[in-house]
Amino acid sequence: MNNNKYYTADGFTDTLPGICAFKKQTESNIRELFRLHGYKEIETPGIEYLDIYSKPGFVPEENLYKMTDQKGRLLALRYDGTIPAVRYAAGIKDFDASLLPLRLSYIENMYRFADSGGGKQSEFTQAGVELMGAEGSDADAEVIALAIKSALGAGIKDLQIAIGQVRLYDGIVKQLGLDENTKDTIRKAINSRDTVTIEKTCDNLGISSEGRELLLMLPDAQGTYDIIDAFRSRVTDPSATEALDNLKEILDNLDEQGFLKYVSVDAGLIGGSIDYYTGVVFKGFTYEVGFPIVSGGRYDNTVAVFGRQMECVGFSLSLTLTLTALLRQGVSMEDKSPDVIVGYAPGFRSQAFALVESLREEGLAAILDTTGMDSAALDEYSSKSGIDKCVYVEEES
Amino acid sequence: MLTIALSKGRLAEKAIGLLENAGYDCTAAKEESRKLILEDENAGLRFIMAKPADVPTYVEYGAADIGVVGKDTLLEEGRDLYEVADLGFGKCRMCVAGPVDLKDGKLDLIPNKRIATKYPNITRSYFEGVKKESVEIIKLNGSIELAPLIGLADCIVDIVESGRTLKENGLDVIETVADISARVVVNRVSMKMKSSEIKPMIEKIKEQVALL
Repeated sequence: MNNNKYYTADGFTDTLPGICAFKKQTESNIRELFRLHGYKEIETPGIEYLDIYSKPGFVPEENLYKMTDQKGRLLALRYDGTIPAVRYAAGIKDFDASLLPLRLSYIENMYRFADSGGGKQSEFTQAGVELMGAEGSDADAEVIALAIKSALGAGIKDLQIAIGQVRLYDGIVKQLGLDENTKDTIRKAINSRDTVTIEKTCDNLGISSEGRELLLMLPDAQGTYDIIDAFRSRVTDPSATEALDNLKEILDNLDEQGFLKYVSVDAGLIGGSIDYYTGVVFKGFTYEVGFPIVSGGRYDNTVAVFGRQMECVGFSLSLTLTLTALLRQGVSMEDKSPDVIVGYAPGFRSQAFALVESLREEGLAAILDTTGMDSAALDEYSSKSGIDKCVYVEEES
Repeated sequence: MLTIALSKGRLAEKAIGLLENAGYDCTAAKEESRKLILEDENAGLRFIMAKPADVPTYVEYGAADIGVVGKDTLLEEGRDLYEVADLGFGKCRMCVAGPVDLKDGKLDLIPNKRIATKYPNITRSYFEGVKKESVEIIKLNGSIELAPLIGLADCIVDIVESGRTLKENGLDVIETVADISARVVVNRVSMKMKSSEIKPMIEKIKEQVALL
């Protein structure tokens, strides 16, 4: 065993002054943004029973940090914000359906085993909301708009949100009469934009040329209303048609809010690794970071797994990735020194207290010297440590 | 500026040839040197020369926008990437190979087989996912054919091109796991943020592949 006392654990790192200050300020801004939109913040435990995550399609179990309690029950570190919020919402005792929708928000650290060799952080901060007990495109658009506002508010300028619909693919699968295996194969291929596999699968199964064309449109089609129209003329299944209606209504809604310029439809976004999405899904991107910073979607059947039917939509913004992007885009997060240091001659402590408190009331970061520096030493110390101003309290001569 | 990660060696040369035919200026990439980053400001291209197994990592993290890498590496690394084109060269097969007397279904009769391979992830997902059986995997780094010959393993999973090495050592292909060729991969964010550069490049690459 190495002596590890000087090091942080694999996948974990310190957030240093400067960056930390910027991060906490961003968190405050986002917290205020959520509050202004009527979302109530909750804190869920850092540790949950493993059971809440171990439903098929929720999370890959090998990515959970697991441990046991003193009775040997399996526990997991908080993996995301959605599932704990779902557990909470399903268990509300004095539940009154007439008070829905429920608007919940969180800003928390999440814990995931990332791939070891990489540098993917195992601990990262997400800010997110869950709009629970709300159906329809306007609810979807509210959450997407809030995701856009959060990312812009955090300082992201080049933001692109891609919107897709799980049910578009489901409908196309039904229309073409594909079996579960084929559905799964093609879903994976669409997720990795692997047109080669789609073509091969179509050839092997003898899928009609219209069907093949439709499936090949999915990984390729990106735009706005034009994409919706292109699919509209080709799909017949009602769930696909409804999916297109949903996308169109979301675009209309976001357009009215002036957000259309950030948004595009990506027909190939159909859920990916998380299986619980049932409607709209979206991801947000910016320059200089190779992973999406925003992720979200509609999950209408997840709360039901915990015993209560509630249609929900939510998003999370990775603050950790957002900060990485901002740093690489050249945003300064310098470690600022306090504004003032106050020293005092023997016998003048109470006057020094009064002065330093009045400075703090003005909003200045003020240090009261505790080391007994004299005037000259205080001067030298303040210039060396980048403190703009130093004041030495002594008898007037 | 697009950053393209190439697998050092034959695959890189072929990829550069294909990009040139597609109308991209690759003078920088052809420079004879030990430089690992070859940049051409005017062409708007930057090439990085990486070990094949690392290409998917560079692309997944967005350090490179695009990568050219063998399907074997993609299957083994299992990275979260867009796989947009099959370049059709670098063709070979990922195979289960072993002593000739294991052919015709006899391999299936060995319970809990030991399998030597450079590709433990591909091996596991093939035997567990397709063949529905548990196996013991022994990771080796080269000359995999040795393992069944001296009794380290019952069979191997490896890349087979001509099959000559196998034959000369009394081994043969028993089953094909996957067809392998060079693929173009793209970072998920780059595909969105730099689509005006990347999409035309993919189209031109596909046109060239169709001519081959």
